[in-house]
Amino acid sequence: MQGGLILFIAVFVVLALFPVIGVPRVWLLYLFLFFIYLSMANMWNLLAGYSGLISLCPAAFVGLAGYTMTIMTWLGLPYYVGIIPGAIVAALFAMLISIPVFRLKGIYFAIGTLVVPEILRVVFLLWKPVGGPLDGLGRGYTVHGVAEVSRSQPYWLALAIGMTSFLLMRYILRSKLGSGLAAIRDNDSTAASCGINVFSLKLCSFIIAAFVTGIAGTIFYIYQGFIEPASAFSIRWLITLMLATVIGGEGTEEGPIVGTMIVVFLYFLLARYAEISLIIQGIILVGIMLVAPQGIVGYIRKFQRHTSN
Amino acid sequence: MLNVSHIDAFHGSFQALWDVSLSVEPKEVVAIIGANGSGKSTLLDSISGLVHPVKGRIEFNGKNISALEPFHIVDLGICQTPEGRGIFPDLTILENLIIGSYNHHARPKKAHNLKKVYELFPILEERKAQLGKTLSGGEQQMLALGRGLMSNPKLMLLDEISLGLAPLIIDELYRALKDIREGGITILFVEQNVRRSLTEADRAYILEAGRVVLSGNADELREEERIKKAYFGA
Amino acid sequence: MPLVMGILLGGLYAVIALGLSLVFGVVKEINVAHGDLVILGSYFGYAAMTMLGIDPILSLVMGMPLLFGIGFLIQKYLLNRAFRISMDATLIIAFGISIILQNTFQLIWTPFPRGLTTSYALKSLALGPVRFPFVYLLNFVVAIIVMLFLREFLRRTYLGMAIRAAAQNRKSAHLMGINTDRVYAFTFAIALAFAAIAGVFLGLTFPFTPISGMPFLIIALGVVVLGGLGSIVGTFIGGIAFGLAQTLGGHFFGVAAQMLVAYTMVLVVLAVIPRGIFGR
Repeated sequence: MQGGLILFIAVFVVLALFPVIGVPRVWLLYLFLFFIYLSMANMWNLLAGYSGLISLCPAAFVGLAGYTMTIMTWLGLPYYVGIIPGAIVAALFAMLISIPVFRLKGIYFAIGTLVVPEILRVVFLLWKPVGGPLDGLGRGYTVHGVAEVSRSQPYWLALAIGMTSFLLMRYILRSKLGSGLAAIRDNDSTAASCGINVFSLKLCSFIIAAFVTGIAGTIFYIYQGFIEPASAFSIRWLITLMLATVIGGEGTEEGPIVGTMIVVFLYFLLARYAEISLIIQGIILVGIMLVAPQGIVGYIRKFQRHTSN
Repeated sequence: MLNVSHIDAFHGSFQALWDVSLSVEPKEVVAIIGANGSGKSTLLDSISGLVHPVKGRIEFNGKNISALEPFHIVDLGICQTPEGRGIFPDLTILENLIIGSYNHHARPKKAHNLKKVYELFPILEERKAQLGKTLSGGEQQMLALGRGLMSNPKLMLLDEISLGLAPLIIDELYRALKDIREGGITILFVEQNVRRSLTEADRAYILEAGRVVLSGNADELREEERIKKAYFGA
Repeated sequence: MPLVMGILLGGLYAVIALGLSLVFGVVKEINVAHGDLVILGSYFGYAAMTMLGIDPILSLVMGMPLLFGIGFLIQKYLLNRAFRISMDATLIIAFGISIILQNTFQLIWTPFPRGLTTSYALKSLALGPVRFPFVYLLNFVVAIIVMLFLREFLRRTYLGMAIRAAAQNRKSAHLMGINTDRVYAFTFAIALAFAAIAGVFLGLTFPFTPISGMPFLIIALGVVVLGGLGSIVGTFIGGIAFGLAQTLGGHFFGVAAQMLVAYTMVLVVLAVIPRGIFGR
């Protein structure tokens, strides 16, 4: 345990120093995206891989948090003040929709969560909370006060949330919440008959996921400097997270790390050919589910168990 | 005709059959007797291909059917009337019967078999436009048997056809079985009721906790001390 | 006026939802790529119109078999296998298909909105005091024809009965000698053939883009859940309900908000309809 902790801190420090020591911009961008997506992928994994909730609405949390932060900058507040409120709004929203949506089982839950970001997209297409006649709606909002900010600040924020999400996952999975979730993942009704409050555990995961995803979302838009409904509530968020988690291995701790590395790498490799890149990702998604549904990490684990037998 | 040799089979993740062997000769009526949980349904399911045995071999008319898909096995002439009847609730009686002749060997004989089924169970013809779910237990069982006959079987597997039915109806069903047998069809049936089984069958196997503990001619078994004590005593 | 339009629009929604309902009721899968597959039908009609000069409705002669074949292959080689792995696997694979389709559309036809603009697509009819576009009436008539056809097919053919049987009791269907894998493949294929029809008529009614699949998927889901699994009449009524919701919503709340009304109704339907149909 001690050795692991030291390694972790060492890695953290090295990564934090990257902008200072003049590492190429491209690397920083890769790492930035990596940590943003990693946080979100860890949360998606928490829900889909450990809580039995295939949540199709991460975009809702990203968009709501991003818009909250942006609106706060329009009210004159510095961008970093909006991060936590953004996450809180996302978490509150999760609590709100959990009431109707959690009553839905299995596939109905998936449908319910699918509709939510789409509804929000239309809402923000029609609702202009701040700004004059040329702002908001379909055109979106610029994030005030970030133009002068250096690239390193969002980078450090992303690094922070990425590492935090990793520690958070480790902590949760070893806690009481974690063992409760493991029981639920195996069998809902058996867990319930053992006295586990299935609903509140799932709700807990859902809220945590919303909160962390929200933070990552605000940081993304701080970097991007601009938010609009089509991107904030786009299904692309779900696709990226689903791909990262599934490639790496749903229900494993390291899965999201491996998966996110690959996904962001693909993103860079094919940056100029956006559609082809996504078509390839779609093919990979289908292929992985058929060939190695447990993902890379799961597959390696199986292989290890096989050879050790 | 049917040869089950030393099979192990699972029901889900739970092993239900251990080293089970049995055989059925053409034109015979063979009973499998056992209480709940003894593995009877898993045995029939293994023969029908719904479950594949992990060990051992099942042969039908010389052909190894252990790994075949269920629809293939129906094609070869084995049909099963499952526990609980398994009729299609939202299909009419006639539709239930017609779907029974789905396999290729049975389709050309559809009209012929339908006539025979109506002769055997006239009430099915009376109610042929009624939906399956509106039938009583006894009528559903007749429908299930009729449906089985529509598949033009050589071997019929019957899983607890008397379950939950009144004695009069059970008598009627077993009378129909005699007719079916006279038509040249071999029957392997599962029953909890020992007395009834040994009356209707030529031979029987006693299944307990997934193993065959006793087997032989029905007459001999009736005299068996163990049976008298264990089953007739209760 | 919005009443008539709503009912007629409902016809289109019913046809769009029909394939989804069939697959949901029989194979018990939710095909989240259904919306994109309908749009595939739209783009096919568009391609036939722009590259071959064929009227889109006539092009269905080619389009339907093509989509039928694609559907058969998808179910047989991808989704049947996914079903054995887990329920989630089918959802994820359907997502993969959705991504592939959307981006292929974007690659070939750009995000620019397209429409099947034939001469009759622009005509409007007057029935007494009410004026409405001719295509709306066409959609409604087509919906009725398609549904009657499906009903007769399910009732009178062996395959149709096998499909219904497999939907009601899978184990018994196996015992009847029904190869459920093949039946599912045919079911999916039929659903896609209907999607081809839906796509063409959608293209005649509305402009569409590579990402148009999602809104129609959501409405189709609402229609299916409201109408009841596997009920043809139910899907028709559900379609009309959503058509009305949209036009009435647009009438009272403005055009921009009409989708919002429809979406909210989907959520309400999901919350209200008992979910015991199949849990997990």
